[in-house]
Amino acid sequence: MPEGKYCNKKPIETPEEVNFLLSDTSGNTYYEEMKSLDVDSDLMWATIQKTMKSRLKTWLEICAHCGMCADSCFIYLVNKKDPKQVPAYKIQSTLGEIIKKKGKVDNAFMRHAMEVAWSQCTCCNRCGTYCPHGIDTGIMFGYLRGLLYQQGFVPWEMKIGAGMHRAFRAQMDVTNEDFIETFEWMVEEYEDEYPGLTVPVDVENADILYTVNAREVKHYPEDLAEAAILFHVAGENWTVPTEGWEQTSLAMFAGDWAACKMQVESVYDAMERLKPKRMIGTECGHAHRATVIEGPYWAGREDGLPPVESIHYVEWLAEALREGKLKIDPSKRIKEPVTIQDSCNYIRNQGLKNATREIVSHIVEPGYFIEMSPNKEHNYCCGGGGGFNGIGFFRKQRNQALITKRDQILKTGAKLVLAPCHNCWDAIRDLEEEFEIGIRWSFLKPLVIKMLDLPDHMKPEE
Amino acid sequence: MATVEMNGKTFEIDEDGFLLDYNSYCDEWVEYVRTQEGIDELNDEHWKVVKVLQDYYEKNGIAPMVRVLSKLTKFKLKHIYELFPSGPGKGACKMAGLPKPTGCV
Repeated sequence: MPEGKYCNKKPIETPEEVNFLLSDTSGNTYYEEMKSLDVDSDLMWATIQKTMKSRLKTWLEICAHCGMCADSCFIYLVNKKDPKQVPAYKIQSTLGEIIKKKGKVDNAFMRHAMEVAWSQCTCCNRCGTYCPHGIDTGIMFGYLRGLLYQQGFVPWEMKIGAGMHRAFRAQMDVTNEDFIETFEWMVEEYEDEYPGLTVPVDVENADILYTVNAREVKHYPEDLAEAAILFHVAGENWTVPTEGWEQTSLAMFAGDWAACKMQVESVYDAMERLKPKRMIGTECGHAHRATVIEGPYWAGREDGLPPVESIHYVEWLAEALREGKLKIDPSKRIKEPVTIQDSCNYIRNQGLKNATREIVSHIVEPGYFIEMSPNKEHNYCCGGGGGFNGIGFFRKQRNQALITKRDQILKTGAKLVLAPCHNCWDAIRDLEEEFEIGIRWSFLKPLVIKMLDLPDHMKPEE
Repeated sequence: MATVEMNGKTFEIDEDGFLLDYNSYCDEWVEYVRTQEGIDELNDEHWKVVKVLQDYYEKNGIAPMVRVLSKLTKFKLKHIYELFPSGPGKGACKMAGLPKPTGCV
């Protein structure tokens, strides 16, 4: 059978199409239809010839099958060292086979490849740091996801997420008007406590252009208020754009390359239009990867950089604490065993380990911070990265993957986990729900706000 | 598919505990989620949130933004969290029988 009603090769483009796919709750019919979806081998092979460059080809060919990547993969370790979970095997038996067979693979193979690409690799890139050749399976799986997406073999939520980006330029059904209205509403709700609190909209030449994750607008608007409060207290000259405010990219997780480009260009357009000195994104890992690290290449920018200097929230926070723009009341610092989750996307992928530890040195009473083991660029994925958290079809596999992080946290003895990344925050919440180990977890913003030593003119009147 | 029971009724749920079929929503489902969410007693305000979520979902096929929920109920964000400690996107939607929100939630 060719294309299904819900499951097919056509990207979702409009809000109506998003709603239609959502109406198939949990994607039950979608996955049934997928079992009969044709593979367009000619299209796949033509795409490979056009898009598969020397790096990926070389990596597939030079892999010595030495097995060094095995122990680097937390999913391999947490699945009793199943040989089928060795990163080299996972990519050779999927992408490698597709190349060998010049795209002539069948439906069952594609469904298997989907399972491997989305439930056996979180694109955490840890294997790449241990391979003697520097082969990064995570990057290759990112590429494979693109081939699978094009053929319609993509998890239901990922297809919706990519469609949201196409229809709304956001990973959820949040319009530009919704974004501004929600931000203004949040500022109103908090302005009694912080007189003068505002959200400056579309200000040109500001020092900071702030971008967010649509989930903050849709489900967790307090995060917007917290960002406004900290910029306000720090005395920053900041703004948000009416368009191009969404920094995340479920399109990246889905492998929808065209939507990746559309989404990131909307943010770059805001930079070009408002000409800020810097762009700062919220406490998100993959948003940073999408907009700051990978985005320039999707947008075809020759210098490999966004149009203006773009930094992660933790870099700004570390700087604000260092320069005294934000002052911490030492009596309010964290005085309980606490650890931090290093987000793969900006720690391993961009080396920001010192920024988060500098923040810790300001907000945690000396003696209470405990590193996970391993940590920094060697840390394990939270267990839910790369879209894994959001895919119901692979929930069993995701919950198994959470065990690595659970055990790392348990070994620290910490009761509080700092998680400056939405994906990590969600995975740690879910592991607490699943295993009930008695921990709390938090972004940095709400913790820092509670321990601020406010400038005199901002102190509440007695 | 997993099922749960409450007061003699059986419900099919998804992998995150959301009701699979919106049409099987009933008082027993609400009672089940109330115990899961650790809410002592439901008051008129809980019911108002549930009703608003359902009206919106029936019209739009998706859960509303918190801003819309706050506007329609006239509850401040902090109050919504007091009513549903796990948040509007999880606890409240679950109680109202809505499907799990998609995306990074």
